[in-house]
Amino acid sequence: MYDLDLIEQADTVNELLARYGVKFGIYKNNTFKEQLFPFDAIPRVIGHEEFAYLEKGLKQRVVALNMFLKDIYSEKKIVRDNVVPEDFIFASSGYMAECEGITPVKDIYSHISGIDLVQGKDKNWYILEDNLRVPSGASYPMIARELCRRSSPATFHNVKLEDNRNYAKLLRRTFDNVNVGGHTVILTPGRYNAAYFEHSYLAEKTGAHLVNGSELVVRDDNLYYQTYSGKLERVGAVYRRISDEYLDPMNFNPESVIGIPHIYDVYRKGNVALLNAPGNGIADDKGIYYFVPRMIKYYLGEEPILNNAPTYLPFYDDDMKYVLENFDRLVLKDVAEAGGYGVVFGSSMTKEQKERFIGLLKREPRRFIAQEVIDFLDIDILEGSEMVPRKADLRAFVLMADEPLVWKSGLTRFSRNPDSFIVNSSQGGGFKDTWILSQ
Amino acid sequence: MKRLKFDYSMVISYDTAIENCHYTIKCFPAENERQRLEELHISIRPRNSSGNGIDSFGNRYIYGTVLRPHDTFSFHTSGIVTVGMAESEAAANEGMMGAYRYPFGLTVPGDGLRYYFAGMDFSGRASDFDKAVYLMHRLYDDFSYVKGITGVNTTAEEAWKLGKGVCQDYAHILTALCRMAGIPARYVAGMLIGEGFSHAWVEICTGGRWYALDPTNNCVVTDSHIKLGVGRDASDCMVNRGVLHGNARQKQSVKVIVKEV
Repeated sequence: MYDLDLIEQADTVNELLARYGVKFGIYKNNTFKEQLFPFDAIPRVIGHEEFAYLEKGLKQRVVALNMFLKDIYSEKKIVRDNVVPEDFIFASSGYMAECEGITPVKDIYSHISGIDLVQGKDKNWYILEDNLRVPSGASYPMIARELCRRSSPATFHNVKLEDNRNYAKLLRRTFDNVNVGGHTVILTPGRYNAAYFEHSYLAEKTGAHLVNGSELVVRDDNLYYQTYSGKLERVGAVYRRISDEYLDPMNFNPESVIGIPHIYDVYRKGNVALLNAPGNGIADDKGIYYFVPRMIKYYLGEEPILNNAPTYLPFYDDDMKYVLENFDRLVLKDVAEAGGYGVVFGSSMTKEQKERFIGLLKREPRRFIAQEVIDFLDIDILEGSEMVPRKADLRAFVLMADEPLVWKSGLTRFSRNPDSFIVNSSQGGGFKDTWILSQ
Repeated sequence: MKRLKFDYSMVISYDTAIENCHYTIKCFPAENERQRLEELHISIRPRNSSGNGIDSFGNRYIYGTVLRPHDTFSFHTSGIVTVGMAESEAAANEGMMGAYRYPFGLTVPGDGLRYYFAGMDFSGRASDFDKAVYLMHRLYDDFSYVKGITGVNTTAEEAWKLGKGVCQDYAHILTALCRMAGIPARYVAGMLIGEGFSHAWVEICTGGRWYALDPTNNCVVTDSHIKLGVGRDASDCMVNRGVLHGNARQKQSVKVIVKEV
């Protein structure tokens, strides 16, 4: 496959991406820097059968996670039945008591889920992380495919490939499924947000209005969009790309200037759908991750199709013992952090760091999870004209519409640093298109 | 049991006219086994379109937006409540109890409160109720009522280190101490017989029922208190919360009168 014409056209594609403003904003030392999201032309290819297996497993996982969210904000059967210890709910910053007693439209909490997977050298896929709050990234492979087809039409003549440009349709179906009447809008914090390109691109492709907080107003228990001429038109669904905390200064962080005062009161009454629902942080918490396979058994009575990376919870004595005995070959993650932060490798610590860390671990065992370091299956990227192996993951997108839908593509992110396992775009990695073969 | 007539008024004045001002008011006597609301009058000025709801903690509220320019916002509610009809009330949402048992927001203890708690002697106090009453007595002895030192955002830990504060601080500290003892506890905003300001106290849950303790007055609540709202800390049941656009300086005055009828 490396003789693809597309690879010859890599520079053209990157130039087009730059021209379309495919950028990723990064805050570093308190300053905002926008940088291009480097695209690697060699696609990651996943076979038809293999993806069918992933699809089944992803649907199962997201269905169970949605059931978990509904349960946690109502009856909490899973806690009562001692499957998940209450510590992991109530001591988690992801649990929001403000969501108690509220039923989102059609009981859907995570409409758009970004599930991060890696493939090991053993060819097994492992789930690394669930992102159920405001997962981003779908727009990058979408536009990359578009521009690749334009730059190198020949490449696509001979491959039987799932067309990934249908993401907007799937998203639209997800919006329409929960819209309670009126417009659908995409709420962006504005152009200084890391994923602003994505917000505008998805708005254009789905036909939703791209709005910022000041264009939406609450009147008489409903949410309205203020048109250019000042007319108020009802909004029935908000695909919000701002976090819970900033959503509504009257209900959450009072300092927020990007939110909409009282939007949460309208949501509470069922007069608008919020995608994703507030409060989802309790389900994609790294501590809760450990329990997802148990959740699948508990709610669905099924064996999990996709495995977690082998994970230990120092909260449990047996696991703590294992972690201390095998410290040097494990990776430790702070459950409260995201975006590749708060991740440390036992092997890379100095003796003092290690002692300090173990002290912390013993004082706050609930705060960390430990995982076996997965031996990633490296994938090739182009460096100049040379092909070099790098670590990569895959963010798969699962949409919950009238039924669960898995997008037949995904964002493949890779680390440009040969020694790094951390592929997050917020840490400067690049991306690839993900090809799913259609037969 | 008493019948109480209450009158709560709040006036916010701005030094320059503002517009587009959002408010949420949680100032309506709760109805439960302990108290019954017989009469309620509400007035909000300037007139505006408003909505109402019940939050996740069970508090009734009114919310709205004043669009046109105004330099005064006022809220007035009055009515008659029968209080002290029972000594406790049933816990409505057992599943949520964890939210009242784990540290939260302004009640998260620090070293100071942890050290204070470690010195408590619970011997001979078997029930949660007795433990909580003991904690209240200790706090009453070890903390002083002084106005003007703490503010609405003062944490229990900060207040404890200062050694003095007002009813909100007493309530936050007792809430924190009860939670450290494993007893679900919540902050209560309300009114007390007399003339002055709003009041705050604590409810603890044991045996599926909420009991109320007033640490500022070192007493078990019977029939002199009118409950308005509850929450994990004061921020969940603030009587008035507002957001405005503009730079106006504001002055808020609150007057509360509660008398027996």
